[in-house]
Amino acid sequence: MQDRIILDNVSRFYGEVLGVNRVSLSIPPGITSLVGPNGSGKTTLMNLITGLVRPTRGSIQVLGISPSDPEKLFRVCAYATQFDSYPRGMTGFQFVYSYLRLSGMSHDDCQRTTAFAIGRVNLGEAAHRKIAGYSKGMRQRIKLAQAIAHDPRVLVLDEPLNGLDPLVRAETIALFREFAAEGRHVIVSSHILHEVDTISDQVILLSNGYVVAEGKIHGVREEMSEHPMQVIIRCTRANVLASRVFEQDHVVEVRLHADGGGLLVKTRDADRFYKALNHLALDGVGIESVAPADDNVNSLYEYLIGGEESTR
Amino acid sequence: MISRWFSQVALVVSLEMRKTFFSRRGLWVYLLALAPVLIWFMHSMIELNLRKERQALNAAHPVSTALLRSIERGATIDEVVAKVGEPFTKNEFHRPNISVAVYQYTDGDNVFAFQFRDDKLMNINERDRDTIPKDSLIFASVFQFFYLRLAIFFGCVGVFTNLFRGEMLDKSLHFYLLTPIRREILAIGKYFAGLIATVVIFCTSTFLQLAALSLHFTGSEISEYLAGPGWGHVASYLGVTAAACVGYGSIFLAAGLLFKNPIVPAATVLVWEGMNMFLPAALKKVSVIFYLQSLSPVVAPPDAKMPALQKLLVTAAEPVPAAWALLGLLTLTIVVLAVAARKARKLEINYSTD
Repeated sequence: MQDRIILDNVSRFYGEVLGVNRVSLSIPPGITSLVGPNGSGKTTLMNLITGLVRPTRGSIQVLGISPSDPEKLFRVCAYATQFDSYPRGMTGFQFVYSYLRLSGMSHDDCQRTTAFAIGRVNLGEAAHRKIAGYSKGMRQRIKLAQAIAHDPRVLVLDEPLNGLDPLVRAETIALFREFAAEGRHVIVSSHILHEVDTISDQVILLSNGYVVAEGKIHGVREEMSEHPMQVIIRCTRANVLASRVFEQDHVVEVRLHADGGGLLVKTRDADRFYKALNHLALDGVGIESVAPADDNVNSLYEYLIGGEESTR
Repeated sequence: MISRWFSQVALVVSLEMRKTFFSRRGLWVYLLALAPVLIWFMHSMIELNLRKERQALNAAHPVSTALLRSIERGATIDEVVAKVGEPFTKNEFHRPNISVAVYQYTDGDNVFAFQFRDDKLMNINERDRDTIPKDSLIFASVFQFFYLRLAIFFGCVGVFTNLFRGEMLDKSLHFYLLTPIRREILAIGKYFAGLIATVVIFCTSTFLQLAALSLHFTGSEISEYLAGPGWGHVASYLGVTAAACVGYGSIFLAAGLLFKNPIVPAATVLVWEGMNMFLPAALKKVSVIFYLQSLSPVVAPPDAKMPALQKLLVTAAEPVPAAWALLGLLTLTIVVLAVAARKARKLEINYSTD
């Protein structure tokens, strides 16, 4: 369990206002996305993990380290917050350099590591300009450079993709994947669900301070028996296939596409449905494509959190 | 481990230095420090002008000090004029049953006013020019009343409460709280940054005040003073200024961590320090001004003519030896810093409520 982030029955109240309540999680390495509407407790959860706020109840361990021990915690952990303010008058280079110096690195190592980290976020040309003159995207990148500079095992990032243009966004996601592939933790919060869907190994869905679901997206989706899985099939003989799949007891609804070239199937047991579909395919139904229609974060969000906030 | 902590303190100090010296919120601290310099400069300029005037008057109406001091009560106007000549100003008042005249002379330094009633010298007022011992007593009063209790006090409020609270307001404190540095080390680093800034600002002011004050004295007077207690006084005043920053700095660093609004603790400490002279002996020791008064170099002599308030201001009620005063002040500072460090350890970021 030394490679996990563990929250044990953690609650945090701000006076009478609930931040998060009774959160118990065991987060494995990989990319974990915190998803939820504004005020759902995503930032509070990140602040708790990094010790910026303390739990009213419960305990937290980050790779076996308590967040109340910043001297140890921030040797293995980094947090790029949503706060968009910086020590006054600093350049991007100084921002990263001074962080590393405080971490105990020598001047020469700091110089080299700072240049490397800033290079990784493609901000080399602007490194010696004052952060106050940076665009939103550049400020996001310098925060990321600071966070990755000391090679942490846990990277906590609050809305890291906000303000980034598509190219930089793709590069940043690639960086997260690289980190995760090395067995590190990358915890991100995001409102942009299709990106969460693309990058996450697991998700934590939050609503009103409670964790409403956690785990791998597919696993979470499968557990939601009250919402049958939807599968879109494009095929040559849609009406024949429709009648054959409807014979399965777990299929609750079949809808033919208007063009007659496909159908939408709702099933309570996706695994059995896919097995059955293999047999049907062998029987000569010309299947062109099969794709889950609601096995994604967007659907999870819709089903679990509902219309509290429209998704983007 | 210890050497890493030392280097982290040094790094925090270097990062904070610019903020503490050039913070926009702290500009008024410079005004507070420079105000007494301006006052003493003006005092010296006025004294220099007065002396020039007296010397010009003395040139027009030459008379020696010895001759002026030889005049005795009971002499007539004619006898006085015969002895020391015509005065530089003459004021006469005639009423039906009494006539009053005031004749003023100067020897170039001092002014002598002879008051006659019905042609008889009744009173002699000698207004001496300012001397270093006289001015040093006035300086001691102003230093202890205005400078220590108000200027340095509020200067420390401005600098030290901002070290954490200012960063909360700027929403930039998380920069430090996300580094692998103990919060206690951060608090100490910030304290030293504030201390360096206040010591530099206020010690410079103290030195400039003494320099401004000495402008109206002659070179020989200053040399004589410096050859005597002068340098000792200068060093002591600088030391007391630094000690005030040490003591008040720790209190207001803690206040900035413990309270959202520094006005309330500042007002409370101001009242507590103000009523120090009336407190019982045990409580006196829980204040900064008690130790600072014991360390101050100029103490009022047991002079009956000195106003009671001035005597109260320049004399510690129950002074302790300098070594004990320093030890007491350092103990108080360490205790307060320990409280501040403990609070810093539990510090949370919650910008939205600040």
